[in-house]
Amino acid sequence: MLEAQVVKQRRDLRVEAALRVETGASLALFGPSAAGKSTVLSCIAGAEVPDEGRIELDGRILFPPSLALARRNVGYLTQSAELFPHLTVEQNVRFGVPSEDGRAHQAWIAELTETLSLAPVWNASAGRISGGQARRVAIARMMARRPPLVLLDEPFAGLDRDVVRALVRALREWQRRIGFSIIAVDHHAETLERLCGRVLVIEGGRGVQEGTWEEVRRAPATPRLQSLLAPL
Amino acid sequence: MRPFRHAPRGWPGGLWSAAAALMLLYPLAGLFVPVGTWRWDDGGSTLAAVRVSLELTLLAMAVVVAVGTPMAIYIARRPPSERAWWQMILLISVLLPPLALGILLSLAFGPQTPAGQWLAQAGVRTSNSVPAFVVTQVYVSLGYYVLGAVSAIERVPRSLEIHAALLGHGSWSIFRRITFPLARLGLAVALSLAWVRALGEFGAVMITAYYPAGIPVQLWVDLQNFGLPSVLPLLVVFLVAALPLPWLLHVLAQRQSSPTAEHA
Repeated sequence: MLEAQVVKQRRDLRVEAALRVETGASLALFGPSAAGKSTVLSCIAGAEVPDEGRIELDGRILFPPSLALARRNVGYLTQSAELFPHLTVEQNVRFGVPSEDGRAHQAWIAELTETLSLAPVWNASAGRISGGQARRVAIARMMARRPPLVLLDEPFAGLDRDVVRALVRALREWQRRIGFSIIAVDHHAETLERLCGRVLVIEGGRGVQEGTWEEVRRAPATPRLQSLLAPL
Repeated sequence: MRPFRHAPRGWPGGLWSAAAALMLLYPLAGLFVPVGTWRWDDGGSTLAAVRVSLELTLLAMAVVVAVGTPMAIYIARRPPSERAWWQMILLISVLLPPLALGILLSLAFGPQTPAGQWLAQAGVRTSNSVPAFVVTQVYVSLGYYVLGAVSAIERVPRSLEIHAALLGHGSWSIFRRITFPLARLGLAVALSLAWVRALGEFGAVMITAYYPAGIPVQLWVDLQNFGLPSVLPLLVVFLVAALPLPWLLHVLAQRQSSPTAEHA
């Protein structure tokens, strides 16, 4: 289970958010642009250090003090795939897997490769594949470690709907089998709804509403949220 | 649409650039000026100077890399305001006139100084010795290496290192597997600049370590004692030793595709 209270002062925004995600559950962070959603994810991942607060994952204290990134065991996917361009796709996918790990891991990586259709680019340089392929490789690289918590910061932006649907389906299936938790940020409520049963709405750096999508749609807490949820 | 990669072509610009390039290369024509029969010093001092220069410059470069690389990694990841302070300090060593640096090194480490006396007690001569030669080379070249290395490491996106760490890798592993491979050509260019700077150093070395004589000091001695015919062979050796490595690295660096080209 993840419990997090994050306080982070931005230049023009003070982010103060508290959230709790049960093991194997999913939570969407939804709200307008620049509301502080990505800051919350970044602080939980450890890419940024909160000013105050407390982050605990399955009994391990991630903050304070800030636990070293290498020891957090958190999967973190951002809008840019952040592949290592000098390595092949295979080397990227295996990057986080200790070399002494045996057959079970080989089978898992083979499954990731097949599900994400990475075979055609398996030996290609990661710096020379398309954006969509790079995003799939990044998902495989993150999932190869089977992290107990997966943080998704708009990883589907700019991808075709079919691709997004397939990736979401794959993530949900793996979550069902492995039991990891997901916290996801996206601008499309529809995508988040497919991925996460619950949603925390963040506006102006603060959580303004939390519940199921149905609850939030039925009685949005702010006019802004109502507008964001309205059909085009 | 193809990106606009080249400036418009035109013969005035090309002619101007060609003239400037010719001007830069023209001094090499001096190698073909008849100055009499080239004479290789038969006393062995020329060969010894080549050996001294190459061996001790290699040693100095090992020190420069060992000292400068961790420093460059640290500086490259500091906030811009702090980085500017570090770069200012490094620039002092780069901008100091070599002769002035030699004098300052003598005043700071010479045998008559407390540091020099302390080192002498430890068996290290701080003037006209191998340690004096190497230390002077390190002083004249370290700033060039670190400034270049900082620039190379800065170009490796910090986000890649963060993702590598989140995938379970420690600092050394991240440097070895991510930072160094992506920065290696920039580091090599920085090292080649330091190499040329150290190998060609005359002013500072002449003050601190006239002996053992390296190529620049030997060139000066030969010019004074025997004139141009005895200088030119050593000059050719000097050019062959100093120039190809940085030139090759520069060409490779130009051809290197941007490491951050595709992260989408």
